[in-house]
Amino acid sequence: MSWWGGDSRHQATQEALKVCGDKHGHSISPEFTGWSGHFEKLTTQIAGRTEADIMQVNWPWLSIYSADGTGLADLKELSDKIDLSNWDEAQIEAGSMKGKLNGLPVSTTGRLFVFNETAWEKAGLDLPKTWDDLIAAGPVFAEKLGEDHYPFEAAGLDAALVVTLYGTQKTGKPLIDPDTNEIAWSMDELTEAITFYKSLVDNHVIPSWKAVAAAGNVPLHEKPEWSDGRIAGTYQWDSTYFKISDPLQDGQNLVYTDLLSQEGQKTPGIYRKASMVFSISANSEKKEAAAEILNCLLNEPEGVAALGSTRGVPASKTAREQLLEVNAIDAIQTEAQDRVINAKGPGIHPMMEFPDVRSAMQDNLELFAYGEIDAETAAEEMIYAINEALDDIKS
Amino acid sequence: MGGDSKYLGLWYVAPYGIGLILFTAFPFITSLYLSFTDYDLLSSPEWVGLKNYEKLFTRDRTFEKSLKVTLTYVFLTVPLKLTFALFIAVVLNYRLRGINLFRTAYYVPSILGGSIAIAVLWRYIFAEVGLVNMIITGLGGEPINWFGEPGNALFTITLLRCWQFGSAMVIFLAALQSVDRSLYEAAAIDGATPWRIFRHITLPLITPVIFFNLIMQTVQAFQEFNGPYIITQGGPLKSTYLLPLYIYDEAFKSFDMGYASAIAWVLFTIIMVLTLVAFWSSKKWVYYAGDKRN
Repeated sequence: MSWWGGDSRHQATQEALKVCGDKHGHSISPEFTGWSGHFEKLTTQIAGRTEADIMQVNWPWLSIYSADGTGLADLKELSDKIDLSNWDEAQIEAGSMKGKLNGLPVSTTGRLFVFNETAWEKAGLDLPKTWDDLIAAGPVFAEKLGEDHYPFEAAGLDAALVVTLYGTQKTGKPLIDPDTNEIAWSMDELTEAITFYKSLVDNHVIPSWKAVAAAGNVPLHEKPEWSDGRIAGTYQWDSTYFKISDPLQDGQNLVYTDLLSQEGQKTPGIYRKASMVFSISANSEKKEAAAEILNCLLNEPEGVAALGSTRGVPASKTAREQLLEVNAIDAIQTEAQDRVINAKGPGIHPMMEFPDVRSAMQDNLELFAYGEIDAETAAEEMIYAINEALDDIKS
Repeated sequence: MGGDSKYLGLWYVAPYGIGLILFTAFPFITSLYLSFTDYDLLSSPEWVGLKNYEKLFTRDRTFEKSLKVTLTYVFLTVPLKLTFALFIAVVLNYRLRGINLFRTAYYVPSILGGSIAIAVLWRYIFAEVGLVNMIITGLGGEPINWFGEPGNALFTITLLRCWQFGSAMVIFLAALQSVDRSLYEAAAIDGATPWRIFRHITLPLITPVIFFNLIMQTVQAFQEFNGPYIITQGGPLKSTYLLPLYIYDEAFKSFDMGYASAIAWVLFTIIMVLTLVAFWSSKKWVYYAGDKRN
C-alpha cells in the first residue's frame, strides 16, 4: 500500500496495516512519502505498472489516472468484500469515473474561514459574518494594532480560491461547470470577482501579493506574522487545522466561522471535495485481498482504531461513529467538518485542481495584483488560458 | 593475459559503457523522439511531428519569458562568478600565515551551495526581515523587497550561484600556482606594476583554465534548478522561472512529457551553440603553452 502524509499518519497506517494483515492473513508492504513529489511518483509508477495494490489517491487525480473508469479497479465489483453502505450516494459518485467506483472517499474536506480570535478581540471587533464586516475590519486593524496587522491573508492559491468563492456566491455557479466542462462565468462576472481581490488589498484587509512574496516561497503556517497574530485570518482546508494552529504562540486562539456572505448571494459557495480516496490498482493480481484490507482500514474496528483521525474525520459512517464514541476526534475537527458538510454550494469540477487550470488563475491574478494588467485583461487571459488547459485535458 | 589483452581494456570500460548506454544515451535519444510526440506517461506516445516545436516558438509566452530569464541569469551569473572566483584565487595565492585554512573555508560554500538546506537558508537571509535587511536598516537604509520585486528576485538567485564560487576558485588557484615564477621576477626587474604583471603575464597564461571554467559554469548555470525552485518557485511574475523549472512543471505537473522534451532539446541546442561559439572564439584568446599556432 502506498500513501503520502506526515509522521503521525505514517505510524498509524503502518500499525493499521499490521492489525488488518494479521486479521485477514495477509502481509502488506508499506510505501510512504511526504506530499511533495507524491503525484509525480505515483503517476510514474502507474505508467510503469509498478504501483502498489492499494493506493491513497488525491481526488482530482482520478480523472488523470482513470478518465474512462478503467485505469483503476472498479470497487463495486468487490462489494462482497467492501461494505459500501457506509458511504452515501454523493460520496460514491465523487469516487466514480464513468459509473465505475475507482476510489472510496477516506474523508471530506472543504475550504473554511478560520480567524485568530485573540487578535480580533485585541482590535475590539467581533468575528466577521460578511465580506463587508471583513473589509470594515482592515482599517481598524491598521489603526488600533499597527500597519503590519491584517485581519486576513490571501495570495497565490488562497487568493485564487477567495476570488472563486466570491464569484460563486455572486453568480450561483462554479467557475467550471462539472456538467459541461466549460467555464460557467461570463467575462464580466470574472472581472468583478478579480476586482474584489483588489478591494481587499486597498482596504488593508490582506497584505499585497508583493508583500507576501517578500518572504520567498514560505507557507503561511511557517510565517512569524501568522504565529504572532499579525495576520488574523485565512481561508484553508478544514483538514489542515493542526498544521495552522500548532505554530501559534501561546494565548492565540483559532476559531472557524461560517462562510462569509454577501448581500444578494445565490449560494454560500462551499468549496468541498473528497480530500483523498483509497483505490485498488487495475493491474493488481490480488484484488480480493486488497479489498479485504481496504475494508478493514475504512470500516472494521481494528483498522479504524489504528488509523484514528490521521486522515481527517472519516467519511465512512461506521468509522466516524466509532471514533466519536471514544472521543478520538478533536472537538474542533468535528465542528469544522460539520460546517463543511452542512454548507451549500455547487459541485466542484476536479479540473479546478489541475495544475494548468490553477496556473491559469494564479498567474493572471498575480499579474493583476502587481498592476501589470487590469481586471478586464486578467479575466480575458484567465478564460483563454483555462479554456486552453481544458481543451488539452479533454483531448 | 597473452592474446586476451587485446580485449581486456574493453572489459574494464564495459561497466561504464553499459551505464552510459542505459542511463545517458538511451534517455537522450528517447527524449529526442518524445519531443515529436504527445506523451502523458499513462498512454502510448502519439507522433505529432513538429507540433511541440511549433507551439514553443509561435504561441508559448511562458517559454519566451522563461528563455529570456534564463539567458539573463546565465549572462549575469557566469561573468560575476568567474570574476569573483578569480579575485579570491588571486588573494589566496599569496603566501600568508594560515592560508590553507582560508582556502578550505572559501571552498565550503561549493560543497553546501547546491543543497536544499542552503537554498532555505538563503530564503531567510534575504527575507523581508532577514539578515541582509537588518544590516541595511541598521545602517540607516530602507529595507529591500528581495523576493517580491521581479527585478531583485533574479539578482538574489544569481548571488546564491555566485556564492558557490569554490570549485572555480580552486581550479583558478591551481592555474595561478603553475605560472612560472621566473616570468614574474623578470617583469618585476623590468619595473612592471602588479596590475601590468597580472594583466600581461598571469591572465594570458591561465586562459586555458578561464576557458574551461567558462564552459563548465555556463553549462551548469543553464541547468540551475534548486535555488529558484526552493526560494521563489519561479516567481514573482515568473521573473526567476528558469527553463529547467519550466521543463519540470511541464513534465511532472502537467504530464506533457513530449512538450517538456522539446523544451529540453531547445535548451540543449542553446548550450551546444554557445559552447561551440566559445570554442571557436577560444582560438583568438586562449593561449596554450607549447602550441606552435600561438
